[in-house]
Amino acid sequence: MIERLAYLWPEIALFATTCIVMVLGLSRSFAVRKATAGVAGLGLLVALYLAITTTPGTVGGPLVDAKHGQSFLPTMVPFAKCLICIVALILLPLLAGTVDRAEEARVASGRGVFNPLRSNRAEFYSFFLFSITGLLLVASADDLIWLFLALELTSLPTYVMVAISSSRHRAQEAGVKYFFLGALGAAMFLYGFALLYGATGTTNLNKIYDIFTASGISTLGMLGLLITLFGLFFKIAAVPMHFYTADVYQGAAPGVSAMLAFVPKTAGFLAILLIVGTVGWRFGPEGAGTSLPEPVRITLWVVAALTMTIGNTLAVMQSSAKRMLAYSSIAHSGYMLVGVIAGPGDASFSNNGIAAVLFYLLAYGVMNVGCFAALAAIERKPKAGEDEVREIDHVDDLRGICRSHPVAGWTMVICALSLLGLPPLLGFFGKLPLFTSAVSAGEIPLVIVLGLNSAIAAFYYLRLMALPLLEEAHPRAEATEDAPFAARRVAGLVSAGGVVLLAVLAGQLMTQSEIAGRYMPQYKPAAAAEQSQPSLMDALQAVPGVTGGR
Amino acid sequence: MPSAFLGVLVLNPASSLDSMLDSMLVLAATPATVAKAPIIAGDPLALLVPALPILGLILCTLCAIFRVKSKLPAFLTVACLAGAFVVTAKLFTGHDGGVSIASGFQWMTLSWGEEPGQRFIADFSLYLDSLTILWMLFVTGLATLIALYASEYMSHDVGLGYCRFFAAFNLFVFSMACLVMGDNLLLLFLGWEGVGLCSYLLIGYFYKKPSAVAAAKKAFIMNRIGDVGLILGVMLTFVHFGSIEYREIFAAAQPYIDLAKAGKFSEIPAIVQLIPILLAVGAFGKSAQLPLYVWLPDAMEGPTPVSALIHAATMVTAGVYLVARTYPLFLLSEYALPIVAWTGALTALVAATIGMAQFDIKRIMAYSTVSQLGYMFAGLGVLTSTGAAFHVVTHAFFKALLFLSCGAIMHGFAGQLDLRKLSGVGFMKGWGVVGLGMFVGCMNLAGFPFTAGYFSKDMILAEAFVTPGMAPIGWILLLTAGLTAYYTFRVFFRVVVGPMHYEPGDELHHAEEDSHGHDHHGASEADAAHAADAAHGHAHTHDDHAHHEHGHGAHFHPHAPGWAINTVLATLSVASIAAAGLYFVKSPYEGGMAHGGAVPGMVERSSAAFETPFSHHGVGESHETIKEGGHEGADGHAPAHAEGGAPSFVPTSIAKSQGEAAHAGSFLGWDPHKVMYYVSGVVGFVGIFIAFILHYAGRRTAATARADALLPAFGPLAGWAQNKWYVDELYDLVVRTPLWIVANIFHLFDKIVIDGLVRLVGGIPRFIGGMVRPTQSGELHGYAAGMAAGVAVLLFLVFMLTMR
Repeated sequence: MIERLAYLWPEIALFATTCIVMVLGLSRSFAVRKATAGVAGLGLLVALYLAITTTPGTVGGPLVDAKHGQSFLPTMVPFAKCLICIVALILLPLLAGTVDRAEEARVASGRGVFNPLRSNRAEFYSFFLFSITGLLLVASADDLIWLFLALELTSLPTYVMVAISSSRHRAQEAGVKYFFLGALGAAMFLYGFALLYGATGTTNLNKIYDIFTASGISTLGMLGLLITLFGLFFKIAAVPMHFYTADVYQGAAPGVSAMLAFVPKTAGFLAILLIVGTVGWRFGPEGAGTSLPEPVRITLWVVAALTMTIGNTLAVMQSSAKRMLAYSSIAHSGYMLVGVIAGPGDASFSNNGIAAVLFYLLAYGVMNVGCFAALAAIERKPKAGEDEVREIDHVDDLRGICRSHPVAGWTMVICALSLLGLPPLLGFFGKLPLFTSAVSAGEIPLVIVLGLNSAIAAFYYLRLMALPLLEEAHPRAEATEDAPFAARRVAGLVSAGGVVLLAVLAGQLMTQSEIAGRYMPQYKPAAAAEQSQPSLMDALQAVPGVTGGR
Repeated sequence: MPSAFLGVLVLNPASSLDSMLDSMLVLAATPATVAKAPIIAGDPLALLVPALPILGLILCTLCAIFRVKSKLPAFLTVACLAGAFVVTAKLFTGHDGGVSIASGFQWMTLSWGEEPGQRFIADFSLYLDSLTILWMLFVTGLATLIALYASEYMSHDVGLGYCRFFAAFNLFVFSMACLVMGDNLLLLFLGWEGVGLCSYLLIGYFYKKPSAVAAAKKAFIMNRIGDVGLILGVMLTFVHFGSIEYREIFAAAQPYIDLAKAGKFSEIPAIVQLIPILLAVGAFGKSAQLPLYVWLPDAMEGPTPVSALIHAATMVTAGVYLVARTYPLFLLSEYALPIVAWTGALTALVAATIGMAQFDIKRIMAYSTVSQLGYMFAGLGVLTSTGAAFHVVTHAFFKALLFLSCGAIMHGFAGQLDLRKLSGVGFMKGWGVVGLGMFVGCMNLAGFPFTAGYFSKDMILAEAFVTPGMAPIGWILLLTAGLTAYYTFRVFFRVVVGPMHYEPGDELHHAEEDSHGHDHHGASEADAAHAADAAHGHAHTHDDHAHHEHGHGAHFHPHAPGWAINTVLATLSVASIAAAGLYFVKSPYEGGMAHGGAVPGMVERSSAAFETPFSHHGVGESHETIKEGGHEGADGHAPAHAEGGAPSFVPTSIAKSQGEAAHAGSFLGWDPHKVMYYVSGVVGFVGIFIAFILHYAGRRTAATARADALLPAFGPLAGWAQNKWYVDELYDLVVRTPLWIVANIFHLFDKIVIDGLVRLVGGIPRFIGGMVRPTQSGELHGYAAGMAAGVAVLLFLVFMLTMR
């Protein structure tokens, strides 16, 4: 087991950073406290570098085999880790000023000295990094126990972050709700894991794969799979485990909400890919098809259709921007489940649902941050007698902000259009392979549901686009001002810029995610990718796990 | 893994141009696709041609952000565009006449199978052949000159507006580069829409002026109509040929070209024959041909440099480029080229008749642009893509010159453009260069012998008579040539020469107090209302009005152009004269055709030569046959088309290559190639002479001319022509009014039925929401119960469905 450590350099680096951050945030020196976030960013950059250079499956790095990780999605890990680090890097500046604002103001005004007991900065940033570390560990999981612990490491810090993100009661209420319901979800997939262990006698994903392949899936194993999936649906906020979403997103500060929309969702989808990967896309009418086993497929199918429909219709009705984005986040989970159903296809990008999901996770992460950043970058002065700065939340608050707050306004416009999937932007390139992969997998009814939902979604995304851009500010609206944290605007700018820039580089990204989305049994080198990525492909062909030597 | 894309993402901004180039090279060296046809890697330097205007755009945006209040953006633009021109010139000198592809980056690759046609590839790669280089040479060259001109012309607006102007200018050149250099139809489409957008932005530059905004919208909407054709054409191309990359399309079209050569059009699928017609619709929109030409004259609301660059020299020739680029496809349809030819000829005639009756000199130039574009399309239609391209090049220079001269007049005379109110401008002090520029431009446009315009027009005229069945087009074009000479010199004789006289327009400048133009005589008092009907462009946005009332008195002095405008006009005059030399220069490539000069020599090495380089015949051999077949006799490789009963014109390439031994076309019994020089020269003389008699001889004052006495003789015709044959009104009646009615009906339908449905549908979630409200109350146990129940129900459902 010790040799596994050599493949966990990003996680190790991030863990070390977390420990440093935890101490830095408690320093009496304001400059040191201020540097906390910068150190966290540095740690993420190091983790990103290590993810590129040392993760199994990357160029020049060590190679994956069954001893060192799960081997049925051999090339997924590096892409997943890179996308996690990239989105985390965009998220980090958005968290600026979320905690400790009153405390720092008190210290700065000279009304008191810094009291570490009243400061939340250290645990806030270190919990953020813990959560990201957990997410990276999910990506490299090859064992049910590992997976469970990684998922919990991802989730537990977020419960606390929600609760401390704002001093209002609403945030604490949201934190408590999130914690209890999260425990319910965790109980559910833990129960599923137990059943899987009961059915196969092992917790190793490779071995479970072998047993399912060799002797079929028992009823007990199938029940374990389904219950596991339902537990994981909590993480991705899919129906019927979606109830908490709107309340929690609305209660938390915008930066934390943006994180909740990305981190648990990514953890959930990576875990779903791992779990579903143990049975594989090799079932079908004649027993040699390319779809999932029927119960799993139907479950995912029904949940995907319900999730996007319920998410979108409820989003249409919202007047709170954060609730709207929460329901939109539910709907996007539904879209991505379509990719899981479609499966790897014949490994070309357009047919590969796994690649589509991985690509979409990155795209969603980038554009979603922008929407929340727009909300976080604008705030109102506190009313007399309150000391809490009020954030904007009602959609009417967004009217005309392109003129009054150009950065936030245009970020919202571009990111909303991208979430809608408008062609020149990143969201389009994300949604396109979901459609094509589902078409080539023959899931035409689901594609129709997906198309209809995209149309419904246009209703509220166009509202998010039109209110800032086309409307005048509400005459009775209270004056808003730019939040005093330039970092939040930077997060918005990076996100909006990424939506445009990554769309230009979509071809590159597609190639990368196509490589990442290879599912072993169907694995065959696509000629195009081989030519454009010669060194990587050479490395891959030398991988024992890839060629079936388990 | 993502080292490649991270490499691009994390491009160190501090890295030098060299390392930028290196990374481009790295990307360029990565072939994006597995192509059957061997790809000759082009000079990666070509990527600088679109990259430099983008750099200019970024710099201008930065200027806007930092509120630069100087001419800096103009000079940055000039520098970037001049760089692009130098790069293009370097490409030209290093070009061997073949086709090569400079890969930029992989943009979009979708595949859903291994079969051909199951792969959609659109990379940002540049298709380098002689046609591309020819186009980019004059686009970048003229853009550089006109940017320099605009640096002075727009100087009244220094500040944000100045930055906005030059940012759009750069974006235009970038879009044009994408359009012309892209190696696939999607990139062409991107550029096509980009130039449309820039045209919209720049026509509406004076956005506080309602007529400018209306003209911008009109141009945009008219172009959209054409774009529908283009989009459909591109889609059909992909559906049928399985690719939108030129080299793949041409390779895939080769069997059909062979069929077309044999005259077996019935064996070519109808869908293939539809493609060129749809593409032609797009070209007609962009190049202002019948029936979509009405936007171009209105586009003159934009600043004059824009009119010169976009609406005379470059963007409007995009349609010609599209047809020339996809010429092999046009050969596949029986009807595509005749449609192109007839549309072009009729447009040339109609626009010329309107131009004869206008009084606004900029509008006259606009109609003459429409008319000359008609010539180019007619040239394409009668199978002389070489002549058409030659005309594009010569026209680009002399029309830009004419526009810029008009712009200088407008600039100096406070927006005055009415030819009845200006006279003898060329002899005023400080206006010599403008007068000379007008003279050179008019000579070219009128087709005066031994000017560039004369040679290029002759190639089209002669070819029209040579091509069987196309003689009527030749006659129309010949008549148009006479009309063109007339209206061109009508402007010249009235505005440039004659007694000195002017009335200022209603737009006055600051800084009129300069010392130029004192020695004039003539009435300077003009009431604003009188002048207003002729004033176009030049809306000043601020503090002009105080000056306005004041300046309209006897104090108005025209201010002569400064060094930038004069330099540009002089350069363009020389270039327009020198362009005639292109006719005598030999083709820059080996094995070029015997006559026609450098430009046709370049065109025939590209896909626009109708024996494409992709055909199985040798390149050199084939044009000999095609172009010179008429004189030297056909050599035998074209299948004898002796079956008879062929449609009069249709089997184009065949008729051309085989039939000319018998000289299918002739001009009243003579060889058109030889006699056309004299005929068109005489026609030009006649036109100029009539203009001289009517508008110069015996003219004492600016407003009077013999022509005005003659007008009643034409009865209502003259009035109709002056009112542009009421085409705008006709469109209003035929298109706009019915649409308005339909729109209102739909609006009612929308209000009653659709809104009702929406309210109904919107009510359903509300209803469901009401049903599940107990669980949505925010209570924890309610949520938990909902989740548990949901899981139970779904699990039960799944097991019921699958575990039977």
